[in-house]
Amino acid sequence: MKILVAVKEVAALDEDFEIRDDRLDVDEDFLLYDLNEWDDFSLEEAMQIKESADIDVEVVVVSVGPDRVEESLRKCLAKGADRAIRVWDDAMEGSDAVTIGRMLAAVVEKEKPDMVFAGVQSSDNADAATGISLAAQLNWPHAAVVAGLEYQPGSSTAKATRELEGGLSQQVEVGCPAVLTIQLGINSPRYASLRGIKQAAAKPIEEWSLDQLGMTTDEVGSAAALAHVRRMYIPEKGMATMIGGTPAEQAAKLAEIIKEFRGE
Amino acid sequence: MNHSQDVTRILFEGFQPQAIYLFYVLGFTSIAVFAYGVYVQIRKYRRGQPDASWGHFWTRFVDMFKTMMTHRTLKRRDKSAGRAHALIFFGFVLLFLGTATITLEYDFLEPIFGIRFWYGDFYLWFSLVLDLAGAALVGGLLYMMYRRKWLKLPKLDYQRPDRQPEDPDYDRSAYRREDWAFLWTLIIIGITGFMLEAARLVWLIDNAAIWETRWWSPVGALMAEAMLLLGFTAESAGIFRTGMWWFHGVLALTFIALIPYTKVKHIFTASASLMFRDPLAGRRLPAVPEDQETIGVKTITDFTWKQLLHLDACTKCGRCHEACPANAVGAPLSPRDVILSLREFANNALQKNELPDEVELDVHGKDVGQVFMETLWSCRTCMACVEICPVAVEHVPIIVQMRRKLVDEGNMEPILQKTLQSIHKNGNSMGESKRKRPRWTKDLPFTIKDARKEPVDVMWFVGDYASFDPRNQVVTQSFAKLMHQAGVNFGLLYEAEMNAGNDVRRVGEEGLYEFLATANISTLEQCEFNSIVTTDPHSFNTIRNEYPDFGGQFEIQHYTTLLKQLFEQGKLKLKQKLDYRVTFHDPCHLGRYNKGYDAPRELIQLLGCELVEMDRNRDNSFCCGAGGGRIWIPDPVGLEKPSENRMREAGEIEGLDVFIVSCPKDLTMFEDALKTAGFEGKFVVKELIELVNECVEFDETVTIDAEIVSA
Repeated sequence: MKILVAVKEVAALDEDFEIRDDRLDVDEDFLLYDLNEWDDFSLEEAMQIKESADIDVEVVVVSVGPDRVEESLRKCLAKGADRAIRVWDDAMEGSDAVTIGRMLAAVVEKEKPDMVFAGVQSSDNADAATGISLAAQLNWPHAAVVAGLEYQPGSSTAKATRELEGGLSQQVEVGCPAVLTIQLGINSPRYASLRGIKQAAAKPIEEWSLDQLGMTTDEVGSAAALAHVRRMYIPEKGMATMIGGTPAEQAAKLAEIIKEFRGE
Repeated sequence: MNHSQDVTRILFEGFQPQAIYLFYVLGFTSIAVFAYGVYVQIRKYRRGQPDASWGHFWTRFVDMFKTMMTHRTLKRRDKSAGRAHALIFFGFVLLFLGTATITLEYDFLEPIFGIRFWYGDFYLWFSLVLDLAGAALVGGLLYMMYRRKWLKLPKLDYQRPDRQPEDPDYDRSAYRREDWAFLWTLIIIGITGFMLEAARLVWLIDNAAIWETRWWSPVGALMAEAMLLLGFTAESAGIFRTGMWWFHGVLALTFIALIPYTKVKHIFTASASLMFRDPLAGRRLPAVPEDQETIGVKTITDFTWKQLLHLDACTKCGRCHEACPANAVGAPLSPRDVILSLREFANNALQKNELPDEVELDVHGKDVGQVFMETLWSCRTCMACVEICPVAVEHVPIIVQMRRKLVDEGNMEPILQKTLQSIHKNGNSMGESKRKRPRWTKDLPFTIKDARKEPVDVMWFVGDYASFDPRNQVVTQSFAKLMHQAGVNFGLLYEAEMNAGNDVRRVGEEGLYEFLATANISTLEQCEFNSIVTTDPHSFNTIRNEYPDFGGQFEIQHYTTLLKQLFEQGKLKLKQKLDYRVTFHDPCHLGRYNKGYDAPRELIQLLGCELVEMDRNRDNSFCCGAGGGRIWIPDPVGLEKPSENRMREAGEIEGLDVFIVSCPKDLTMFEDALKTAGFEGKFVVKELIELVNECVEFDETVTIDAEIVSA
C-alpha cells in the first residue's frame, strides 16, 4: 500500500519587493521559499492514514523543482514521510501545470501508488491545475477541493467530501486509485521540529532526471508550456481616502469631493 | 567537678536479659526495614538517566551544610515556619547525636576497649543539652501543629489547580493524614521521652547520685515533681517507667523504620537535593548531546536520577505554589503539583521489583497521575518556583524537558507552531521580513555603525521586540540617542541579528534554539567588539548563560548597568530631576535569572524619583506573563492575566505616577494590562530608558524630532 503526495515549494514575497528587469517575474532576491500551505494538509492526511492503518502504508512525497526544494522535502521527511523524490532538470524551468502533471504522471507510472494526494492549489501561481492535470494524464478518477475523507487503505473506493461555494458540501465516492486535491482545514498538520528536520537530513532524497521519466527536453520547460507570462506588475492602487474630523467637517469634505468629481 | 561514675544512667536498668534481647531484635528489625526502604529508593533513582552533578563534591557538601545550619532557605517568606523548623531540626539532630554517643559507648567502646565517658560532668551537661533539645523539638512541633490547624494557609490546603474535584487523583487528603501522623508521632516520641525521664527520676528517688542532680534535666525534673504531686511512689513510677520505656522505644524504632517510606525521608532527600542543586538551573537549560536520538522527557525514566531525587525532596511547603504566577491567575498549573504528580508517578512505577512496560511509564496524557499538556503550557518559566524552593527542587528545567517532548510531537497551540515556523524562516518572532529589523534606525539623526563592517567597542544586540514593535522602537531609539550622547563606540548586526532564542528554548523547541544560537554566535564571532549590551533581558540571559554551551563566550551587560556606568563616568549628565512617585517591576530575566536588582533602582534614585516598592519585588517579583513563549500564546479568555494581577498590585500604591519597566516584553504586556485592568489615566507604564531620556542633557545634534518618533 502506497500513497504518493505531490508537493510544491512556493515563493512568498518579502516586504518591498522589486519586479525583475524583464518584467516577467519578481526579482528572486525578494522571494522567500516554503512548502505550499495546502501540501502540509495533504501530507498530514496521508500520514494520518498511514498511522491508523493496520497494514503497512508507505508515504512517498514527490516534487518537481531545483536544489532548494530539498529543504521542503526534508520537512516532509521530518514529519514522517518514508521517501522523497525530487524531479529536476534545468530544462524543466518554466514548465506549466499541465507539463508538471505529465511529469508527475510519469512518476506515478513508476511508483504505482494506490492513492495520490495533491494540494488544491499552490499559493504562488494559484492555477489549481496540477492535481487535476495529473489525474487526466493518468485517466484516473479524481476529486478536487477535498475537505473530508473516509478511506481505508487497500479498499477500492474512497468517500470524499468536497467543499463547494456558498457553504455547500458534496460527498462523492471515487474508485481507487484516485487523485484527490486536498483543501486547507481537512486536518491539523503536525509540526516538524527543527531537530526532526535535522535528523531527516540523514534520509536520502531520490533525484529523478528527465531520462528516468522517459521524457525529452522539448517536452518540458517554457517551450512546452501552453501559456506564457507577458507581464508582471503591481496594479495601481484604488482611490480610497479616510475622511477625518467632526461629522460636520466630514460632510463638508465629502461635498467638496463630490463637486470635484462632477467637475464643478 | 563531678567525676562520680554513679552520676550516669544505667541502660536497661532492671531489665531481664530476655527483654534486652527482645529490644535488640526489634532494633535490628527496624534497621533492616529502614535499609530495605533505602535500597528501594536508591534503586528508584538509579532507574533514571545519568547526571553529571557529582563534580565538586566537597564544595557542594559545604554549601549544603551551610544552608542547613543557617536554615537560610527555610526562613524565606515564612520566618516563623523557618524558626519552628529550626527548633525541630536542631532538637532532632542533637537527640540523634546524643543517642549515637550512648550507642558508641555502650555497644562499642566499653565492650571492646573498656572505655567509659558517659558519667559525671559530661553526663550532666549531656543531660541538660538533650533536655533542651527535646524541649525545642516539642516546641517546634507544637507551633507546626498550630500552624496547620489554625492558620489556614492556602499554600497548605493542597488544592490542585490542575485537576477537578471529581477527578480520581484530585484528592490529596492522604498527604494531610501523613502530615498529621508525622507531627503526632514525633511529638509523642518527644513527650514520652520526657515522661520516661521523669518516671525514672521518681523510681530512683532514693539514689542520691540521681535525685540530687535531677535539675540538670530541667524538663524531666519538673515533670518528676509533678508526678510526686500526683501521688506516684518509687514503686508505681517504676512500673510506669517500664511501660513508658517500651512504648517510647517501640515508637521510636517504628519511626526510624518508616523513614524511607514516608515524608520523613525528606531529612535525607532534601539534604541531597540541596547538595546536588544546579546554581544555573533554569537559567541555563541542558543542551541535548548531538548523538542523542530522542529529546525531552516522555517516560518517568527519561528523568535523571537527580531530577527523581528532587521529586522526593519536596516537602509540600507550598512556597512555589504561592509564588507561581500561573497558579495565581487560576491557570491549571502549580509547580508543587507537577512535582507531586511526578513523584507519585515515580513511586508507583519505579519502586516495583520489575520495571513496568514503557507505555505505563509515559508521564504525558490525560490519565490518572499523568501531567496534562495544558499544565505544562501554562508555565511562563519565570523561575519564581525554583527561586523560592527551600530544598532546591528545579521545577523549570523539569517542565521544559517535558515540553521538549510535546514540541517534538507537535502537541502545542497551532498559533505557537506558526510562530516557531516563522522564527525559523525569518529569524524573528514578529512574522516580519529580515530586512525590516534595522528600520528603526532610519529615523535617527545619526548613523549607527554596522558592526559587521567595522570594529566597535560595544555590540548592541537589540532583540525582536525592541527592533520591530512600534512602541518599543521609541525606546530603542532613545537608547541609541543616549549611547550616542555618551560617546559610546557602538554598532549593530543590522539584518544579520536573529532572535536570540531564549524563549524558543523555554518553549522547548531545542532544535530551533540550537539553530538560532549557533547562527548568532557565528555572526558575532565574525565581528570585532569588546562587549555586548542589550535592552532585552531575555536575550541577555541566553547570551550570558547559555551561549557559552555552544561556544559563544561573550561579555554582556544589560543596559541598566551600562547607563549606570555612563553616569558614574560623567559621560551622561542630568539636566533635570523627576519628582514622580514610581514603582519598579523587576523583569524575571534580569532580576531572578541574573540578580540584576540594584542597577535599575540606583538609576531610578539618580533621576530623583520616589521609589515605592510593590509587595512582590526583587526575587519575589511577579511575572508579566510573557515568559516561556507565553507571549506567543493567547491567554485564555475570562481568566485574569498575570499582567493584570500585577497592575492591580501597583494600583494599590497611593499617588503612583509611573510603573517603570526595563524589558521590551514588559512594556508591551503592561501597557496592554494598564488598559484592560482599568488603570488607564491613573498612572502610566514607562521604560526606564524613557525616564532617563527625559532627564539627560543632550547636545543639539542628538535630539530626535519628537514627531517622527511618535508617528
